Amino acid sequence: MLPSSYYVFLSAFVFSVGLYGVLTRTNAVVILMCVELMLNAGNLNLIAFATHHGGVAGIAGQTFTLFVLAVAAAEVAVGLGIFILVYRRYGTVDVRKPRLMRW
Amino acid sequence: MAEQALATAALLIPVVPFVAFAVILLGGLLPKERGFGGATSTVLSTASAGVSFALSVYVLLRVQATDASFVAVRTAWVEATGAPDLHFGVLVDPLSALMAVIVSLVAFLVHVFSKYYMNDEGENGLPRYYGAMALFTGSMLAFVFSSNLLMSFIFFELVGLCSYLLIGFWYETPSAASAAKKAFLVTRFGDYFFLVGVAGVFAAFGTFAYHGDGSLFDTAASAIEGNVSVLGVGAETAVTALALLVLGGVIGKSAQFPLHTWLPDAMEGPTPVSALIHAATMVAAGVYLVARLFEFYALSPTALLVVAYVGGFTALFAATMALVMDDIKQVLAYSTISQYGYMMLALGAGGYTAAVFHLTNHAFFKALLFLGAGSVIIATHHKQDMWELGGLRRRMPVTYWTFLAGALALAGIAPFSGFWSKDEALLAVLRNAVNEPLLWVPFGLGLVAVVVTGFYTFRMVALTFHGEPRSEEAREAEEGGFAVYTPLVALGALAVFAGFINAVPLGIHALKTFLGGETFAEYAAETVGYVGEFEPSTALSVTALALAVAGSVAAFRLYAGADEPLRHRDGATARVLEKKYYVDAFQVWLAEDVTYGLSKRLSLFDIDILDGVVNGTSRVSLGSGEAVRRIQTGVVSHYAAVIALGVVGLVALVGLVGGWF
Repeated sequence: MLPSSYYVFLSAFVFSVGLYGVLTRTNAVVILMCVELMLNAGNLNLIAFATHHGGVAGIAGQTFTLFVLAVAAAEVAVGLGIFILVYRRYGTVDVRKPRLMRW
Repeated sequence: MAEQALATAALLIPVVPFVAFAVILLGGLLPKERGFGGATSTVLSTASAGVSFALSVYVLLRVQATDASFVAVRTAWVEATGAPDLHFGVLVDPLSALMAVIVSLVAFLVHVFSKYYMNDEGENGLPRYYGAMALFTGSMLAFVFSSNLLMSFIFFELVGLCSYLLIGFWYETPSAASAAKKAFLVTRFGDYFFLVGVAGVFAAFGTFAYHGDGSLFDTAASAIEGNVSVLGVGAETAVTALALLVLGGVIGKSAQFPLHTWLPDAMEGPTPVSALIHAATMVAAGVYLVARLFEFYALSPTALLVVAYVGGFTALFAATMALVMDDIKQVLAYSTISQYGYMMLALGAGGYTAAVFHLTNHAFFKALLFLGAGSVIIATHHKQDMWELGGLRRRMPVTYWTFLAGALALAGIAPFSGFWSKDEALLAVLRNAVNEPLLWVPFGLGLVAVVVTGFYTFRMVALTFHGEPRSEEAREAEEGGFAVYTPLVALGALAVFAGFINAVPLGIHALKTFLGGETFAEYAAETVGYVGEFEPSTALSVTALALAVAGSVAAFRLYAGADEPLRHRDGATARVLEKKYYVDAFQVWLAEDVTYGLSKRLSLFDIDILDGVVNGTSRVSLGSGEAVRRIQTGVVSHYAAVIALGVVGLVALVGLVGGWF
């Protein structure tokens, strides 16, 4: 079995890729996808540690991952709904265009 | 039993006018059609003054018969364990009984005269007039019967309020409204000192009481005797300071220098008001207060000397201004100031009886003179300038003869009342000047004022009643009826005969015996070292009489018959007198230029510094908000970047603190 540190580094890598995408991309859908990457990096961590510890803590970690997946699905649904509305208003999903919420 | 009746009567004397005032006040709520107007108010107020007068006479007779001196009614005002002893009480003693008769008699006669002066002239606002008159009568009588200093202060202020209301009776006239304000403010200035004095007296001696064991006077006297330290200073110093503070209120109310300026302006009020409030009674409140507190003042030689100097100076100072006034009421106003100066002078020299005696006589003859002037003013349709009068003695015989009696009393010519009391006042000063050389100065001032008094009095009589009429109105003057004659004749009789109650040169000492003047003379003798052995009575009387006659005759010769040439007064002295020694101008300068200017300067501190701090705070908040809000770009990526940086920073911080690196 691979040591836990491998999973942790993989998770950190995936998270960083996601964060980079969130910060650099202008397309809202791509940003959402990057957010999913970050979330799943988190899940990867949870699963890795669940396996590492085993027992009750392991069950808890797996359960928590399921919750995160469910929340992520809901978040995607809401996020895509918002993008549709943004698209109707601005004709694009470029996040630099909607700038109403500023000084 | 008899004492019970006396107590009830004494209590009712001030209460009756208060009730009349309340009824008139509430009557104003009734609709006009119900007939509650001028007529009802007149009857109510006049009747209340009449009832008070009858009761006062009863009280006076009983007090004289039984030699009573007690606190008739005593109601606790503040009652609690350990609370200071504050109460309302009715103090019945010779002084208050005498003063009550003076006040209620003059009030009653002035009410009768008002019927002629106000009602018959068709004035509006009669309920207001009579309501204020009733309130005044009640407050003044309550002041007279006050059994402690705090109560005196309360009613002292109330009469001041009535004075304000009545001076400003014709409030549509700007000069009357401003005179009312001036009277209120100037007397209030003195009252600040009085109030501090009242508080100081309580702080020092723990009591306000005038009478009984542990009274204010006993406490103060034993404090001085025991050489106790009061309020952090010696007892005698404290008494002097407190007496001088209270004197501030007296100077304001009795119109003594330098707070005399309000009284001549107060002549803007209706003439009966001038007679009652600004001549006979309210102005007397100051002098009465000193007489009431005489035992207190007698503890401090310094305070007594100050009283004597203020009085002596004012007596001459005001008399000289009366010389050049053209308005008949102005002459009388300055004469009032001057006469109260005499009373203060007498009190300051330990002449308790003399002061009360002069107060009594002055109340009668000055009310008479004012009512006489009122009669002239109505008869000539509000001509007050004496240069437009003249020759009225033929058209108005009753007014003329009674006015003449009052003038003779004022000038101090025997055997009219003013002669006896002025003589005794001067005698009291002279007697003590032998032992206290500092009293020679006020004595000299008082003696010179006798000539001046004679002169201005007969200048007034000559210009008003003698010579030829100098205007159409004076030629056609019509004297009024019953409501004029009754008060004039009653007061005229008093001006002639009142002096005999204490005609010292004739060996009559009735008033002195009644007031217990011996006891009071002893107070002064004990503490100040005034000894009354020197009796130059006859010589002084003759001198004073000669001076008064000289002044009177000179004025009569100059003014009766003559007119235009004497009006020219271009000299520097006349100018100073006509400008009233620039005291008014000085006070206006003090208020407008100095105080207002200083206030404007000081307000800059408020505007620039205090407001500056407040405004600066908000300006900093606004400015920093303006600068910081630029970071809110509205671009999602920027927020994400900031959050990511924040997390990195947080992790770095936790790591640094936690020692990971």
